[in-house]
Amino acid sequence: MRSCIQSAGLSLAATLLASAAGAQAVDYAALQETIGEPVTTSVTGKPQRASETPASIEIITRDQIAQSPAHDVPGLLKTYAGMDVNRWTAGQTDVAVRGGVQTFNPSLLVLVDGRQVYLDHYGMTDWNLLGVQLEGIQQIEVVRGPAAALFGFNAASAVINIITTAAGQGRSLTASAELGTHGYDRLSAVATAPLASGLNLRIAGGHQRENERSFSVNQAAAPASHPVKRDEVAARVEADPDGRTRIVINGGYSVNSQLELLPTQIATRQRYEAVTAGIRADRDTAWGGLTGRVYANWLDAHFGAGVSGETLSDGLNLKNRIFVAQGSALVRLGLSNVLRLGLEYRNNRLDGDTLFSPRIDYTVWSASGMIDLHPTEQVAFTFAGRVDRLGLGSDGAPRLPAANVQQDFDRQFVRPSFNAAALFQLDSASQLRVNGGLGYQIPSLIDLGLRLPIGPFPGLPTVLLAGSPKLQPVAVWSGEVGYNRSLSDSTKLDVSLFYTSTRNAIASPGEALPLQVSMIGGLSLVTRFQRDGNYRTMGAEVSLDGTIGKYVRWRANYTYTDTDQQLQPINVLALSPRDTTARHKANVELGYSRDRWFATSVIRYTSGTHQFADNVLGQIALLDVRRALAWDQKIGVRFGKVTATVTGENITAASGAAGSPIPADRRFLAGVSLKL
Amino acid sequence: MPVQKFWSVAGICVALVSSVASAADLNLPVATRVVSFLQPPPGGVIPAAIIYMPGNAASEAEAASIERAGPLVAGKGTLHLKRVPVSALSGLAGVRVAFVTSGLRDSQAQIAAAASRQSILTITSDLSCVQAGRCVVAISSVPRVQITVSRAASKAANIQFGSAFLMLVKEI
Repeated sequence: MRSCIQSAGLSLAATLLASAAGAQAVDYAALQETIGEPVTTSVTGKPQRASETPASIEIITRDQIAQSPAHDVPGLLKTYAGMDVNRWTAGQTDVAVRGGVQTFNPSLLVLVDGRQVYLDHYGMTDWNLLGVQLEGIQQIEVVRGPAAALFGFNAASAVINIITTAAGQGRSLTASAELGTHGYDRLSAVATAPLASGLNLRIAGGHQRENERSFSVNQAAAPASHPVKRDEVAARVEADPDGRTRIVINGGYSVNSQLELLPTQIATRQRYEAVTAGIRADRDTAWGGLTGRVYANWLDAHFGAGVSGETLSDGLNLKNRIFVAQGSALVRLGLSNVLRLGLEYRNNRLDGDTLFSPRIDYTVWSASGMIDLHPTEQVAFTFAGRVDRLGLGSDGAPRLPAANVQQDFDRQFVRPSFNAAALFQLDSASQLRVNGGLGYQIPSLIDLGLRLPIGPFPGLPTVLLAGSPKLQPVAVWSGEVGYNRSLSDSTKLDVSLFYTSTRNAIASPGEALPLQVSMIGGLSLVTRFQRDGNYRTMGAEVSLDGTIGKYVRWRANYTYTDTDQQLQPINVLALSPRDTTARHKANVELGYSRDRWFATSVIRYTSGTHQFADNVLGQIALLDVRRALAWDQKIGVRFGKVTATVTGENITAASGAAGSPIPADRRFLAGVSLKL
Repeated sequence: MPVQKFWSVAGICVALVSSVASAADLNLPVATRVVSFLQPPPGGVIPAAIIYMPGNAASEAEAASIERAGPLVAGKGTLHLKRVPVSALSGLAGVRVAFVTSGLRDSQAQIAAAASRQSILTITSDLSCVQAGRCVVAISSVPRVQITVSRAASKAANIQFGSAFLMLVKEI
């Protein structure tokens, strides 16, 4: 049966491509240059000006990236309103939007050029496994709030879409090298070249290394220190045979090893290896466009064993493969209205020795629609809806003793999600935005199918850390009211009030290790990933940006987040967003650029929090993370095609600046880049 | 200087100043980029015209301003400019793109007819020309870039743009 469905999926993909499906070929750079502001498709699926989207969106442009002190994507994100960026270890970072951050943070869907890099095996994103170079990013789009009606499961709290530069810019090369304290070094290169008329190649690659940070004295002993490493290479061929059709074939390989705090707060060293391959076709038509895409991601994840984290080869090995086929049509209705229809097939499977059976998998079929209506020039309404049907399964004989029975995995469910928005142009300088939605975070494959013997516990039978195949998806409701206004030709104000409610959040067992007796295939005691309860966040984001004269730009933002929860005690299930979400965050950035010189200063304030970690007794506990006032600084000078930079990160050495129980340290980097 | 003569001179000065201002109003970089969103996108040397009215100060000033802009690169092509007097629209033969200067309102019908016959993309800073369905594209820059496209004029001239572009502009 499964093979039939797989075949059907492949047939659908083939049909979509054969019919030149796919369609909105968006040249982000050209459109931005033409209309004078960034363009996005991440809110509704149709191209829109950043200033006209019916959702709270942040677009970080190529110029902003080049002048930022940040040396990676999370570093760029952390200075924007509503973002929680917690750098748990030197390599492991989690990003949450509007509260609720935790290690291996789910709910935030991360894409590169619309292709998922979110990892379904554990429901998280490894920001060192994106396979992109900062120098090769055209823009980063952050859509706050659920976008599940467009992107499906896992876009439950927000979407981040990283758009890379196009291949069709002739012969070009951008190369960078950075060296820094704490054993930091980074190399990256992005090259493009025409292969033939209408056929262009883009190759990008990079390497990064840095030393691990020192654990806090309040934490359990640190595993032996290993550096963070990442290496990646990616290639893309873009064909533009007739000016109306664009075909893109892409492939990439990334590898990353780093120390991580698991959701159980065990600190182990992981090694991730990822491969991706895909093809996308876009066809422009007189009435709109068609888009079709097929891609697959393979992940080989090696989790270290036990607290020591030393023995990767003896640890837990999981192989995850996701296959996605998507097709959509954008139809222009009249002069200003747009309809979008989409279909998606997704097969996701996880293989490993520590699962209920050799393979756990699920298949999702989805249908979606979006309509964008402009009854007058001053008003726009957008409604998007989507239905996802998931069928869960397992392959192979169950491993005994077991925590579940095979029938538990023979399960289907259907979830509808939606987004609705209204945008009112109040006058030539101000807009009011009201939107809301419902999205779902699907339980990870680990949440559903793990079967990991833990211990030993003297005098007890086998103890299993197990998944729960009957877990329901986590529902995230959200509402938002936004107002933006041009205060002058050079100053803009954006204010958002938000409310987010997360229902049936999933958590890992706490220190009390709640146990159940299982007699399936023998006696065992079972502790599970399970439904914890509900929490909500509400708050306000205020952002201002502008310029002073010709050479100075500035922006400032403040986020207030209030979190409440109805969750089990943390010794039962280790989740407590009320403790882990910072109540106050503020950022001020000042940039200067004149002739050859540029400089950017960022001041970041985060109020104190508590974050989960193993304490000195080796027990899961909430440890203090002190409030932090951090200063980042970058200074650069251009000599023709060469740019030299000096960067300081957390110059104030604020220990809480990383939002982690492991104190943040001060780092200095020096770099040089070449653009041909 | 008699008062009447003073006001005449002042009026001429104001007219000259406003003509220079309107010439600056055509955002030429944006106008050039608009050409690259044609379907299919033109490449190589793209013959282009500046339609102007000899003797009309505003029109001549704008034509000169466009000429001074230097090589105009539109995607994979480069515009090759020539002046075409509104009184000699036969000079539009072979042209793909025409910049319609201001001050030609009385001649818009003839320009539209010639452009339609020869499938020429007409671009102007005069929004009224697009609102009347006689020019294809109007560009304004204040307070922000706004591109207006006439569906009627596009259809008449058999001009097609990429759909992504059309979703970002105001089509009337």
